Amino acid sequence: MKRKVILLVSIVTIIIFSSVALYSQIYLKPEETINKEEKTREVLTKAPISKVLYWGARGQDVIDVQSKLYRWGYYDGTVDGIYGAGTYRAVRRFQRKNGLTVDGIVGPKTAEALGLSFKTKTSNRSVSRNDNVYLLARAIHGESRGEPYIGKVAVAAVVLNRVEHPSFPNSIASVIYQPGAFTAVSDGQINLPPDDESVKAARDALNGWDPTYGCRYYWNPATATSRWIWSRKVVIKIGKHWFGN
Amino acid sequence: MRHKYKKGLIPTFLIVALVFTGAWGFTQYKIKRDYRTRLNSQYQRMFYDMKDNIETVQTSLGKALLSKSKESNILLLTQIYQQAYFAQEKLSQMPVKHKDLEKTSKFLNQVADYSFAMIQNHVNGKDLSDKQRQNLFKLKDYTQNFSSELQDIHDKIMKGRLNFNIVRRREDSKLKKANEDMLNTGLSKYEEDQMTQYPELIYDGPFSDKVLNIKPKGLGDKEVSKEEAIEIVKDFLGDKKVTKVTAFEEGENKKGANISAYTFSVSPKNKEKEQAIYIGVSKIGGKVIWMENPRKIKKKELSEKEAQKKALEFLKEKGYENMEPNYSLKYGDANLFNYAYKDGEVTVYTDLIKVKVALDDGEVIGYDASKYLKSHHKRDIPKPELTKEEAKESVRQDFDIENIRLTVIPSRGSKEVLCYEFSGKYMGSDYIVYINALNGREEQILQIIKDEDGTLMI
Repeated sequence: MKRKVILLVSIVTIIIFSSVALYSQIYLKPEETINKEEKTREVLTKAPISKVLYWGARGQDVIDVQSKLYRWGYYDGTVDGIYGAGTYRAVRRFQRKNGLTVDGIVGPKTAEALGLSFKTKTSNRSVSRNDNVYLLARAIHGESRGEPYIGKVAVAAVVLNRVEHPSFPNSIASVIYQPGAFTAVSDGQINLPPDDESVKAARDALNGWDPTYGCRYYWNPATATSRWIWSRKVVIKIGKHWFGN
Repeated sequence: MRHKYKKGLIPTFLIVALVFTGAWGFTQYKIKRDYRTRLNSQYQRMFYDMKDNIETVQTSLGKALLSKSKESNILLLTQIYQQAYFAQEKLSQMPVKHKDLEKTSKFLNQVADYSFAMIQNHVNGKDLSDKQRQNLFKLKDYTQNFSSELQDIHDKIMKGRLNFNIVRRREDSKLKKANEDMLNTGLSKYEEDQMTQYPELIYDGPFSDKVLNIKPKGLGDKEVSKEEAIEIVKDFLGDKKVTKVTAFEEGENKKGANISAYTFSVSPKNKEKEQAIYIGVSKIGGKVIWMENPRKIKKKELSEKEAQKKALEFLKEKGYENMEPNYSLKYGDANLFNYAYKDGEVTVYTDLIKVKVALDDGEVIGYDASKYLKSHHKRDIPKPELTKEEAKESVRQDFDIENIRLTVIPSRGSKEVLCYEFSGKYMGSDYIVYINALNGREEQILQIIKDEDGTLMI
């Protein structure tokens, strides 16, 4: 009898815990992925500092500066994103050691010495090609992991060919997020951080490489569920995907 | 006594577990319902917005047909242009299968595009021709029908018989089916009944049917067999590098490609763990359209200048003389160079070739001549009617000009225009201004954005 009770209790506990675990796995992102994603983004944008930093400044830029100084032993306070007296002194120390103008202000030269890239022209900051590269890279990664390199470029090319075509939306984001257009969007795989190869393939496609010669559809004949897609005419088969119009 | 206690334990645990699971299930249900409602509201809002957009397009088209003044027509057409784009944008994000919206989507895009072409027409001082008026009239008809279809769908929403939740689980698929059908049949019925008769619109714009069916001009006319194409590949990459050439399987849709081509995957020689090189050769003319070698790049040893030289040598070797370097992009440890064809003194921006050079040993690891092959042909470039000085008068005086040259640039609807190119600085940023060399009109302005990766023109 006692054994039965223990058995029952443990079964119930297991059920509850596994459901909770399942729940959190589905709805909450593991921290690791987030970190990795941030890292990829950092590589992509080289963490640009957007303005000149001085006493009183706050934000991510300050955190970047503080953590650099902390790592190199100039700063011993907390990395809190607030440019206070401690940060000021640390910056001055850093400038003195590195032969920079000692003013306690992080301008272009100091930022460069810290290894942080500095955007000097604020007027152009709004225009960037990186965001589209990154979005496209994520779509490629979600859609065609395990495909040969050229298959990845081809998938990206299909997205861009759709943008150019009147039957489809007119921007990269609208094409990618069109309801039902890509499985990677429906099952959330698009949110995985892309690898280097996907980023490279996205850039190639944006620069004009098109191994599909203008195709607007592709499908995997092994998994395609839509009957309609079979009415499309195939132009070329690359890896597991068929590309057509 | 002890026995009884034990007996009560099992049901108690069961009840606790049940209550717990029940509570958990209920929160899950609530969350789900919450999401569903929110999604539904989003779709409804989008639907109403779209309906408004379409109605504005419809009324403005009517007004534009009536109006006799070019000025107010320009304003009306601008409104049509903008509202039609908005409607298309929203339509494409509706939870309806793309295949049921394809033609309607194209129709809305063309309404926008066509209005833009008409705006340019007016700006250039021309009135609407009879043909153009007819076209606008047709477009108005189609918009009207579409708008009444939307009205029908709207009535269904009002009666509560339709909601947009198709993002549901299969379990309640009956309800889902009914909903989906209502929205789908509404929109796709319109597509089937009306859009199949929708005429081809020919005008100067990127979405014109004329532009969609354009044929490549720079290929020549000799047909090439697969065996010959393999020889061309070996020749292009250098015989030493190639061990095996495998062709990608083609589909039956030969006309579907914008350049019909053989595509190969090439295994390079003597290089372990290296990925394949990919290459495409046109079936007509036997020209290499593109090449891509996604290999790893070891150590950066070349400067950008040296790489630039390698790229130019490469182009000469492949028989592309008169190519002028244009802009470059950093690509990790490779550099991408963009070359434009130079016809005498005139730079032709439609005929572009891109060459990617690895910075370790200067090997060309990427090549794309598709733009060049699509547009290159023997041109009769007209003599400019305006001199440099005359064209300069069309540019703002405070634009600090650094360089002037003659160019051919692509314009809307894949036309080509002879222009004077003025590059220089304005308010601290770099710009290029193009002035039509025949009539002095300002054709285009580009802003140049330089960052650590290279130059970008917008």
